[in-house]
Amino acid sequence: MRCAMRCATRWATTWATTRIMRIALGVFAAVLFFVLVQPGRAQTLTGTVSSAAEGAMEGVLVSAQKDGSPITVTVVSDASGHFRFPDGRLSPGHYALRIRAIGYDLDGPQSVDLGATARDVAIRLRKTSDLAAQLTNTEWFMSMPGTAEDKRPLIECMSCHSFERIVRSTYDADSFVPVLKRMAQYANNTIQARVQSRVAARDVNDASVRKLAAYLATVNLSRGPVWNYELRTLPRPKGRATRVVVTEYDLPRKTIAPHDVRIDRNGQNGSGPNGSGPNGSGHVWYSDFVENFLGELDPQTGAVTEYPIPVAKPGFPAGTLDLEPDADGNLWLALMFQTGLARFDMARKTFKIFPLPAALNDDAMQQSMVMPASASVDGKVWTNDVARQSIMRLDTKTGAYERINPFAFLGNSHLHAPYGMAADKANDLYFMDFGGEAVGRVDAKSLAPTLFPTPTEKSRPRRTMLDAQGHLWFTEFAANKLAMFDLKTEAFKEWAVPTPHTYPYDVFRDKNGELWSGGMASDRVLRFDPQTGQSVEYLLPRPTNIRRVFVDDSTSPVTFWAGNNHGAAIVRLEPQD
Amino acid sequence: MAFRRSLIVASLAVSLSGLASTLPARAGGVNFGEDSDTNDGPSYFGFVRDSDGSPVAGARVTAAPKAGGSLVTRSNSMGVYKIPGFAKEIDPKTVDISCAKDGYSQASVLRRGQVDTKDPVEIDCTLQKQ
Repeated sequence: MRCAMRCATRWATTWATTRIMRIALGVFAAVLFFVLVQPGRAQTLTGTVSSAAEGAMEGVLVSAQKDGSPITVTVVSDASGHFRFPDGRLSPGHYALRIRAIGYDLDGPQSVDLGATARDVAIRLRKTSDLAAQLTNTEWFMSMPGTAEDKRPLIECMSCHSFERIVRSTYDADSFVPVLKRMAQYANNTIQARVQSRVAARDVNDASVRKLAAYLATVNLSRGPVWNYELRTLPRPKGRATRVVVTEYDLPRKTIAPHDVRIDRNGQNGSGPNGSGPNGSGHVWYSDFVENFLGELDPQTGAVTEYPIPVAKPGFPAGTLDLEPDADGNLWLALMFQTGLARFDMARKTFKIFPLPAALNDDAMQQSMVMPASASVDGKVWTNDVARQSIMRLDTKTGAYERINPFAFLGNSHLHAPYGMAADKANDLYFMDFGGEAVGRVDAKSLAPTLFPTPTEKSRPRRTMLDAQGHLWFTEFAANKLAMFDLKTEAFKEWAVPTPHTYPYDVFRDKNGELWSGGMASDRVLRFDPQTGQSVEYLLPRPTNIRRVFVDDSTSPVTFWAGNNHGAAIVRLEPQD
Repeated sequence: MAFRRSLIVASLAVSLSGLASTLPARAGGVNFGEDSDTNDGPSYFGFVRDSDGSPVAGARVTAAPKAGGSLVTRSNSMGVYKIPGFAKEIDPKTVDISCAKDGYSQASVLRRGQVDTKDPVEIDCTLQKQ
């Protein structure tokens, strides 16, 4: 009996122990299964990069794109030549491999099959036979002979095409002239995949065109089959610049030119002090520079939704530029040559158009910028009239526009151009004089203009953001500088970017106080700490024409976003530290 | 650049009548280096000092012609300021320069003579400690 009870107890204890162990084993096995053989997720793709010339190579970008997928993931080899794609980022399938390393081409393998197990590949590079095809605009600037004054006009060319198009041409000085004059009549919202002509002809100075044509004929192939100057290149990434993951999302058509890009996260507002943001879906919204759509990208799937914007002026260039949220999180667009402004209701997914009155809406009319961040204060939204270098202000209640010429008091001096905009809490406007060298202010109540010249002459300030501390961050496009204007003290700070001929288009200050910048020249994203002066330049996998930049502060580390304006893609850059 | 003003006026008139017009080539895009400064007048500079003659750094210097609007800059550590200036048509004599800094009041503004109208215009400020 005792034995029976003891035995029963022992049996029960043994059974219970066995059962607990079985459950634990089961849980362990399940965890192991999901960790090692996650359904639908491939094991990590790792490997090495080497070449006969260098052996193991640091700073080589390795890109993998699954057949049929719009998403390309890129990592960079470290000092020992190793690379590793993030765990679980690539699903099983057949992947095309690509590399970027100046002076080299991919020898092999060209593709890789990823299954449920880990895959390690040895990537071999060979010296390229066509170095010129790999140069960025910055590297062409570095290579081309000539003075800074000779090269200065070329910073406009990057808006529509790369320098390779210029340097591979065979025009002599005379035959270049009609080409340049023809291009001057294209809208600035033109890309190679979609050329758009202006309706209102532009006056072009013949002497300026001939001077530029004469210079270009000295750097192209008009005198022989090869360039008579050395092709100079920037070094490959190393150290911290290799610790990054880049994801490119191909958009559904080559004719989509993402210009301004932003993520709808609560609390994200890169352009105004109000700090409110759209609904926080984490989706990417972008303006299309050459077609009349507002785009929405789901970064989880790469799916794109396009919202057609009514075409108000058929026959005029299509596309929009500035994309800015108001305090309610609705997005505003500057409608370029279609003229006027549009507000996109994020809940209803509908547009309200604010057209210009017919008397103002001539053939040259163009709105490139919009600033609605503080419109809740007085119902007013700022914009510009590009052709007449003036500011305009919309009354959202009446739909009326008023014009402010902030440069009239200067007299008829050199050309000015109101560009990037921000608004303070009182809805006073701060704008960049992209034609000159000043930060401008227009008082919301008196409309009195004040210009604050930048310490650097001919700096051509371009895009801007106002942070919560009242610091206006902006790029000095022509001066190769990042800059800050303190609204309270009216003091400037300027920092030269580390690589000459970068021509930064835009800058974004993140939650850690670091600055992120990009442009049309270098295919690099600049991360710059203004406190220490330290910088990192992340090379991007493809030629990437960057305009507006955006940083998602909700991740840690932060995540950088931009459009590839000439490459029909959205780019996400995740620093790994 | 006088042609530009007349061009803009003309283009406005023409465009309002519904015809095509020509406009300056910048328009947010290509300019082919034709951003000439030949119509710019002289730049402005000067020294901001206290009544002892010591330089005053960080003073707010405002240059305002008769038309509404102003150019604003700050004096540097040497008390020097520099302002790019206005178009040729703005007579430097009509441009008011004023200097201000917390704790100081403006005591005097001294205009130096120009030898040539292209020379930078020097206008110095003296601030009095309050």
